[in-house]
Amino acid sequence: MIRRAAEITFQFDGDEFTAFDGETISAALLRSGQKNIRSAPTGAPRGMFCGMGVCQECVVEVDGKKTEACRKKVKAGLIVRKATYV
Amino acid sequence: MYDVIVIGAGPAGVNAAIEADNLGYSVLIIDEQGSAGGQVWRNKSSSIIDAPKTETSIKGNALRDALMSSNVSVKYEARVWHIEKCDTIWNIHIENDVLTSKNLIIATGAYERIIPIPGWTLPGVIGLAGATALFKEHMMVPGHKTVVAGSGPLLFYVANEIERLGGTVEAIVSLNSRFDWLKSLLIMITQPILLWQGFKWVTAFYKKTIWQSAPIKFEGADHIELVKIKKVDDDWKPIGKEQILEADSVCYGQGLIPAIEASRLAGAEHHYDETLGGWVPTIDDMGRTSIEGLFVCGDNAGILGALAAPIRGKNAAQAINKNGVVYDIGKFERFGKAMTALSIPRAGLLNLIDTDTDVCRCEGVTRKEIEHEIITGAQSPNAIKSGTRCGMGPCGGRFCADAQAMINEHVTGKTREDIGLPTARPPLRPMPMDQITEELNYDDLPIPGVSPL
Amino acid sequence: MTNTYDIAIIGGGIMGCGAALRIKEGGMDPVVIDQGDIGQGASGVNAGTLSMQIKRVKLMPYAIKGHHEWQLMGEKVGFKKTGGLTLAFNDREAELLQERMTMKRDAGADITFVNPKKVEEIEPHLAKKIVAASFCPDDGYANSSLSGQYYRGRLTDENIDTIERFQVSEININSNGYEISSGDQVIKATRILIACGGLTKHVAAMLGEDLPIRARINTVSVTERAPRIMNGVIGHATGLLTMKQKDNGTVLIGGGWQGKGTPEEGRGAINPETLLPNLQLAQFAVPTLSKVRVVRSWTGFEANVPDFYPLAGRLGEKDNAYILGCVRGGYTIGPYISKLMGDLILGREPEMPLFDPNRVFNEDKLI
Ligand SMILES: Cc1cc2nc3c(=O)[nH]c(=O)nc-3n(C[C@H](O)[C@H](O)[C@H](O)COP(=O)(O)OP(=O)(O)OC[C@H]3O[C@@H](n4cnc5c(N)ncnc54)[C@H](O)[C@@H]3O)c2cc1C
Ligand code: FES
Repeated sequence: MIRRAAEITFQFDGDEFTAFDGETISAALLRSGQKNIRSAPTGAPRGMFCGMGVCQECVVEVDGKKTEACRKKVKAGLIVRKATYV
Repeated sequence: MYDVIVIGAGPAGVNAAIEADNLGYSVLIIDEQGSAGGQVWRNKSSSIIDAPKTETSIKGNALRDALMSSNVSVKYEARVWHIEKCDTIWNIHIENDVLTSKNLIIATGAYERIIPIPGWTLPGVIGLAGATALFKEHMMVPGHKTVVAGSGPLLFYVANEIERLGGTVEAIVSLNSRFDWLKSLLIMITQPILLWQGFKWVTAFYKKTIWQSAPIKFEGADHIELVKIKKVDDDWKPIGKEQILEADSVCYGQGLIPAIEASRLAGAEHHYDETLGGWVPTIDDMGRTSIEGLFVCGDNAGILGALAAPIRGKNAAQAINKNGVVYDIGKFERFGKAMTALSIPRAGLLNLIDTDTDVCRCEGVTRKEIEHEIITGAQSPNAIKSGTRCGMGPCGGRFCADAQAMINEHVTGKTREDIGLPTARPPLRPMPMDQITEELNYDDLPIPGVSPL
Repeated sequence: MTNTYDIAIIGGGIMGCGAALRIKEGGMDPVVIDQGDIGQGASGVNAGTLSMQIKRVKLMPYAIKGHHEWQLMGEKVGFKKTGGLTLAFNDREAELLQERMTMKRDAGADITFVNPKKVEEIEPHLAKKIVAASFCPDDGYANSSLSGQYYRGRLTDENIDTIERFQVSEININSNGYEISSGDQVIKATRILIACGGLTKHVAAMLGEDLPIRARINTVSVTERAPRIMNGVIGHATGLLTMKQKDNGTVLIGGGWQGKGTPEEGRGAINPETLLPNLQLAQFAVPTLSKVRVVRSWTGFEANVPDFYPLAGRLGEKDNAYILGCVRGGYTIGPYISKLMGDLILGREPEMPLFDPNRVFNEDKLI
């Protein structure tokens, strides 16, 4: 049996999501079925891809900073936004 | 100042660090992850309080325990963004700090080769290695119905983990034929445990495996829904009729590429060797590079896998001393090469890259644009990059350089060695400006002299 | 390669390519030779700033002409006229700004001084610490990454031979002209133009000329794509910062901070001791930048002489040997000064004076 940490909630793009305390943003979003987490410069949808902080496809904004969702841990109440570009 | 800094705390780096410690050197190991283990023995996230033991957790914990009980200093969640040698000293730049050492061991591992096909950028299509990170770190699956596609041994490992963790594998689409695998069997016999494990996986998924086939297109509105596949010939060129699979997730990849950005930045010579996964630092049998005081070990020195990594790590530490002892990696090397051989790209793969496919995901550069640039005279990776932006984005070209070079090879007939690589430049990862600089006290700004009037 | 060219141009940067185009237009048959690719030296890696405010007073007429050339090249080189601000953050810099910009204005640049309120209108993201500022509506930039693509296309269109990946290692003079060799390959030409950027000294030495060139090694950085935080070119009174945000959202940061290495040794490398102050100054001017990630920092070489003026003219006492190199702002004036150089070689009177490489290099001679 797998025992996981308590569930917490955070926000992504204005919606509320749950996560197990300590997991990464990308894992939490994927668990909720939210695969599309970014728009590429071409406008195309993107999601987690390499899962190890290299490809930059999972980039979201936390505190106005572009952050790799596959490396950043969720905290209760964390506000995550879709990355913004010009 | 340390005697030795090791960059990368996977099995190669950690073993290098411990060996160096045993030899009496002062050692620091740095990793961007939160703990040691690397990709292969990646640690569980703190969201997992308890879980059944697995090979990953057992081996990973053993590695972490060994490191903990050594004198090696550790620095996790630290990203090296620049490496420079000043006289005889290595300056290793991380967020807001510079660490110095007399010797540098680079053990940065590998990332995935993923052949661009139409739809490969759709959310829900993830790398095979990326999938393993999900299993290991989060014990979760990428979706409810997964197609696992590509080449090499990771296919079966990924499929097995998906089902162990409660997911469903819709199909394994393997570029390799049964015969390819049979050929590697001879060498796998040297690793009976792995052979047995491999045998179990292959038999478990035998019915679900579509041999000698490849996805030719991923489709879906805002995430993956359909996978179109075709048979491939012995050259991996797609042939015959299209078959359609349904999936809400795809794990996709064609083997590993050595992560050589750090050793290139450090100035080491590199060469191309497809049997080792591509461009690798030019080294002796212990991992000594062309630069005094610079050593490499693990997959970034050529893809030989997790079995060879610890020994390669130890050798790199021994290499610091001219008379260091060499540990034999013979049979692990043969095994590693046999696994790598399953993913050596074959010429027909290029047919999978449709002319309108974005080869460069970051900048949205298509195969057609790259070909046009090459035909009109830009033939070096630097020139192609300048003209098209292919490789200029935040991933630093890590996911397009190989495909770009394949296209170049095809158009110009040049070898990979002649095509070369783009200039290595820092930072090794995109770095938020405020993480590498301190706030400016304006009066302290070192003004080297006003520009001439 | 038995053909004897009218002129061999060594160096396929803006200078070499620009001269080749002019020379061909004038009826001669040039060949452009480069050790690497066309336009991948300084011309391909520079910050691309086309700013009147950072141009030197004496070079202003050339810069204005050069700017016009870039404008004509237009979209193909990513030309943008955005206007630009130069900032002073303390009284000393304000004084410097006042003095320098007045002289530049008198030299023909359309520069005005603007008050902090106006500055905020032009660039709302700037730090509110500005003491004085000047503005030039003509300032802008081009995309230096496109230099190679652009000039390669132009040379092809004009049927000018280019020989890439030919590293000149020896030049011999005989009664017919010059024999330029790389290993056992030889190119023959009646005349020669050395336009080797940072390596100009090195190549001129092959003809026995010793030029007082010391390479400068400039640093440039680029960020990931960001939301709009800058509208035009932003500079600093000392010249130690130039910034602009491209249409794709990436921000280019330069300012002539010096990296490490020499052109003879290879590509050169950034020096964290200068790169970091460069980035600090950028964030000081535009605080929102601190949340943006740097994707790449690099360096390129310029041929620097003691008086910081171009080298453009005959090489020593030699017949038919010429040299063309430029420091500080060479990207801006390149397309123009290379035309003048072409004219000299064609035997025409250049529209504006060139810069004799055989001059005595007193620090301030030409000011
Ligand atoms: C980092 C940087 C930033 C800059 N920013 C600006 C700016 O914002 N605005 C501005 O106006 N100016 C700027 N400049 C200046 C400007 O880029 C240069 O003055 C200009 O590009 C010089 O052009 P070039 O043709 O002389 O040199 P290059 O473009 O360097 O061309 C010289 C060529 O010679 C070739 N070569 C050298 N040796 C040999 C050999 N032995 N055999 C064959 N070929 C050889 C080289 O490969 C190279 O292609 C900057 C310069 C640098 C380096
Ligand atoms: S998924 Fe590649 S960086 Fe996060």
